[in-house]
Amino acid sequence: MFRDVPALELRGLTKRYDDGTMALEEFDLQIPSGAFFGLLGPNGAGKTTLISAVCNLVRVTSGEIRVFGEPHQSLPARSWIGLAEQDINLDRFLTVRETLLYHGGYFGMREPDERAEELITAFGLEHKRDVRAPKLSGGQRRRLLLARALMHRPRLVILDEPTAGVDFELRMELWRYIRQLHAEGTTILLTTHYLEEAEELCDEIGLIRDGRLIARDSAEGLRTHFGVERLQDVYVKAMAS
Amino acid sequence: MTGLVWLCRRETLRVSKLWTQTVLAPVVSSILFILVFGLSLGGRIREVGGVDYEVFIVPGLITMGMTQAAYANNASSIFQARFDRYIHDVLSAPMRPWQVTLGYTVGGVFRALAIGCSLLVLAALLVGVPVERPFALVTAVALGLVLFSALGVVVGIYAETWDHTTFIANIVILPLAFVGGVFYSVDVLPSPWEELSHFNPIFYLVNAVRFGFLGESDVSIWLSLGVTAGLAVPVYAWSQWLFTTGRRLKS
Repeated sequence: MFRDVPALELRGLTKRYDDGTMALEEFDLQIPSGAFFGLLGPNGAGKTTLISAVCNLVRVTSGEIRVFGEPHQSLPARSWIGLAEQDINLDRFLTVRETLLYHGGYFGMREPDERAEELITAFGLEHKRDVRAPKLSGGQRRRLLLARALMHRPRLVILDEPTAGVDFELRMELWRYIRQLHAEGTTILLTTHYLEEAEELCDEIGLIRDGRLIARDSAEGLRTHFGVERLQDVYVKAMAS
Repeated sequence: MTGLVWLCRRETLRVSKLWTQTVLAPVVSSILFILVFGLSLGGRIREVGGVDYEVFIVPGLITMGMTQAAYANNASSIFQARFDRYIHDVLSAPMRPWQVTLGYTVGGVFRALAIGCSLLVLAALLVGVPVERPFALVTAVALGLVLFSALGVVVGIYAETWDHTTFIANIVILPLAFVGGVFYSVDVLPSPWEELSHFNPIFYLVNAVRFGFLGESDVSIWLSLGVTAGLAVPVYAWSQWLFTTGRRLKS
């Protein structure tokens, strides 16, 4: 059923903030089910606004968002999305285990214990099970953030710069988790500043600037289209055009 | 409904984890009021309306402790969740706005009841406070807790700094409680202070709770319940509206 409809469909999505800033303007995007889609763009391009709109964290000015064919505000659509935000936003009162259990509960899981243990093991947090989020190291918090996003087995996982500010070892580790997730059939929308990350992981890359999608293709397709050899040059050309 | 249950659990877990701050401290401070005021002033005032002074002040002190706790709990819980942005976990979850409103309200109610029940037991042991009208007491407490829990949610959503949340507690709720007849009957006040007391919403809540405990109050129980309900309903609706529209929660 989910293979027949796009994982994410944005039509004419516009977001103007109260101060008049136009973050997204008539934005159209369709991401097929099972895809690994990367969204690249400079700071302020509208990436995080787009993600927040999909996840019901900003009020959309106009346009339509559908997740596997359902309006994004609907309860089923919400339950199909898993979000790992760029900034660490873990509940300071909860331990690692509680963070996962409560997230699962909010997302309708009746028996979240087994899944929480599975993720604690998968993300190497066994020894931190009963430690509260503020007492974790930066890397452990980043892993917990990703584990939380996956807790309720979402069909569409949105990762907003998941490796921003992390060291090389953790970045490789996170890439491994993300690749495995994609191999299991999960659709992934990734925003990143790291071009090599997008090239390494994504089937398709969208370039966003000033709230508009200016190009989308595979890394190879983008290089051919812009007539350059490196994705870095694609980015420079696209953002300058 | 699973999401609502877990949000209620989270809000009550927070109260339980911080029990020395959230329950013990307010109980100790209210008991000190009963002991200090009851012992020091009780010898001079003896009775108010035929009731021993140390018994007379118990309903007002319980009301004050519960309302402050209900408000402070929700204001700080929501503000912290907004400040650290972990409220996103709830706002993006497949929960209806009424479930989120109710879930956050429950935390304040739970904390206030923990304080109220503790104070009731201690006050019964210390000064033998009776419960003459249990139905009126339960109704008054329920309405008061909905009012102040919802007010905490609203302020927690609008607040931009911690100072905003404490400003309402210290500059609005506490003074209104003190002049709302917690320590005295407003009948003894000279004009215009007696009349002015009738514009204080906490005066009606204190009197409704006092009626539940002692079977008597300065104004009709129906008026007291009516005023409290007349405030509780719109304030709860306001908190519900904020979660429904996302105003102040979603940019």
